[in-house]
Amino acid sequence: MPTKHLIIDGATASDQWQTIADDISFDGTLDEATLDGKGAIISLARLEAEADTLRQRNTPIGVILRAGEKVGEDPHRLAPFLDMLSLVAIEFPVYRNGRGFSAARILREQYNYKGELRATGDVLYDQWQFMHRCGINAYEIDGDIPLATFTKAMDSLPDAYQPAGDDKRGILWRRS
Amino acid sequence: MYRYDEFDNEMVSARVAQFRDQVERRLSGELTEDQFKPLRLMNGVYLQLHAYMLRVAIPYGTLSSRQMRMLAHIARKYDRGYGHFTTRQNIQYNWVALERIPDLLEEIASVEMHAIQTSGNCIRNVTADQYAGAIDEEIEDPRIISEIIRQWSSFHPEFSFLPRKFKIAVTGHKNDRAAIKLHDIGIVITRNGEGEVGYEVHVGGGQGRTPFIAKKMTDFVPRNKLLAYLEAVMRVYNMLGRRDNSYKARIKILVHETGADEMRRLIEAEFAKIDASNMLTLPDKEAQRIMAYFAPPAYETALATSDILQAAQSANKDFTHWCATNVVSHSQTGYAIVNISLKPIGGIPGDATDTQMEAIADCAATYSHDEIRVTHEQNLVLPHVRLDDVKAVYDALVPHDLATPNLGLISDSIACPGLDYCNLANARSIPLAQDISTRFADLHRQHDIGELKIKISGCINACGHHHVGHIGILGVDKKGTEFYQITLGGAADENASLGDITGPAFTEDKVVDAIENLVDTYMNIRTSADERFIDTYRRVGMPPFKERLYAD
Ligand code: SF4
Repeated sequence: MPTKHLIIDGATASDQWQTIADDISFDGTLDEATLDGKGAIISLARLEAEADTLRQRNTPIGVILRAGEKVGEDPHRLAPFLDMLSLVAIEFPVYRNGRGFSAARILREQYNYKGELRATGDVLYDQWQFMHRCGINAYEIDGDIPLATFTKAMDSLPDAYQPAGDDKRGILWRRS
Repeated sequence: MYRYDEFDNEMVSARVAQFRDQVERRLSGELTEDQFKPLRLMNGVYLQLHAYMLRVAIPYGTLSSRQMRMLAHIARKYDRGYGHFTTRQNIQYNWVALERIPDLLEEIASVEMHAIQTSGNCIRNVTADQYAGAIDEEIEDPRIISEIIRQWSSFHPEFSFLPRKFKIAVTGHKNDRAAIKLHDIGIVITRNGEGEVGYEVHVGGGQGRTPFIAKKMTDFVPRNKLLAYLEAVMRVYNMLGRRDNSYKARIKILVHETGADEMRRLIEAEFAKIDASNMLTLPDKEAQRIMAYFAPPAYETALATSDILQAAQSANKDFTHWCATNVVSHSQTGYAIVNISLKPIGGIPGDATDTQMEAIADCAATYSHDEIRVTHEQNLVLPHVRLDDVKAVYDALVPHDLATPNLGLISDSIACPGLDYCNLANARSIPLAQDISTRFADLHRQHDIGELKIKISGCINACGHHHVGHIGILGVDKKGTEFYQITLGGAADENASLGDITGPAFTEDKVVDAIENLVDTYMNIRTSADERFIDTYRRVGMPPFKERLYAD
């Protein structure tokens, strides 16, 4: 595995989150040691099962939305929990699997989710700008890609024809 | 015709610069072929059997003479002197060198053309009726909404990595020449009870190994809401379309597995949310602005009949035959729509040389208000020709072998690239099309047979549309030898239907005989010369054809 580095809102950031596997339980001391002061990213199934207990804790909670192959996890299932989530990680398991682009827009535009939306997985250079347009603001990218390359990729298309999850209005809507 | 403004130019130039950088990174070895693949696919560059192939978009099949001259120039400078017009109303160049593609793209950008989204799992080039703006009884020119869709779908951030490619077709006329029911989305322009123009939307049609006729999802979406509706369809598909098996990834499979009613409910629910946000409601002024580009040309007033034309017809029988098949009446009195067949007897369907393209560009500039259309049946059209000029056009086309009077006839077949170019093929398509066309070379015989659409695919992917051929031919592979399976009764028009398999496949040396047997059977049992092959098949069904085919 190449090392990943994290870019949040256009700047290199240190990761304040840790992914917690479903089989690690959240009680006792294991919990404190494992988390090391970081927030916990858990699966959607676990979130649904344990939301009530997790709400009692101070640990920041995030969730990973899996893109799946035949079916993906439905972002609408996050609706009852968005108030307790400060991060949603959206999985792009291979660059061809673009379900996450729609998931991001649904969360931002239909549920007005304001927390961190993080792209994880196999993310291509040319997809970063599109991800940003869909409302994603954090990226786990290959460690050997410099920030300057990332910044350049974010500007690769100078404009947009259509509105999406960012503040661009779309050429079709601006001409008249 | 639509003209780029500063926004369109900026987007296209930015894309060329971006791709130039990517090609340089590939050539220097910074990018591997694997990493480069998704990037080149976003720019219409395929790796074929022998070389890179570039597909250039011709949005809704409309070209100016200046653009056609550029395509000729590209054929000469970057390819081997010809190009291939495709069933997607695009043009392909089969022999381009990768390192020259950025220069090529820069040249075509100078005439407002590009190769964006002509490949990859995104919304592809929108296709439309080739008689748009010229045919009588059209509700609205389909190029208007097609151009709006082209812009909305270009570089769409959410829909550039769909489960599979996605194709949209539009017709504004009750006679469907755009095969809309065989597209992922097919749009029929219509009017509601109040007389307002809007769109009937069909979803989930397609060919390939599991062909489906699209299901109607809605009877009417008003003009300013269509993009919101399309975005809803796309979002449902992007979220729910299968990604576990590329053969089950098209929206037709989703519609089939979900059921049309449930699909309609899902689309309506998503549409309601998008519509409520108003973000995709198209401003009326922008619709009007784009509409103005497609205003009819400045026609001259002319009589409904032309003495010049009539005199020419009585003097020249070949010309009369050509008029009968290739010339269609126009909505404007005194004008005609002229079809140029790219299916010369024994030729390669859809191919045109640089000099042919230039001859056509000259004709368009002189006689057709500077317009040319590409058809999904791989022919070209001069949409606005004065009746008085039809003979002059014919005379200009004849020396370039562009006046074959076979539109819609047996030698006007569609054939995919097949084994000669395509690495997925089981069998050759183009040589078979040439053999059939040579067997029926006698034009009197062809005219006698009448409308008969033969469509040939080299494998089950159906790029040659065999499912919807009146006679469909499919290349199959049996232990390394080429075989051809025949289907009957397909159609791609407003009465779209999928063909039925006749029975066991034929070897290469028997297939042309089989086609002739089918034609002879039809000639024997048709009720009159007005009953087309497809009508006879629909009346009598498979038995008489099958009996004759497998008689010995
Ligand atoms: S139908 Fe098959 S052989 Fe023909 S072009 Fe398509 S993939 Fe290739």
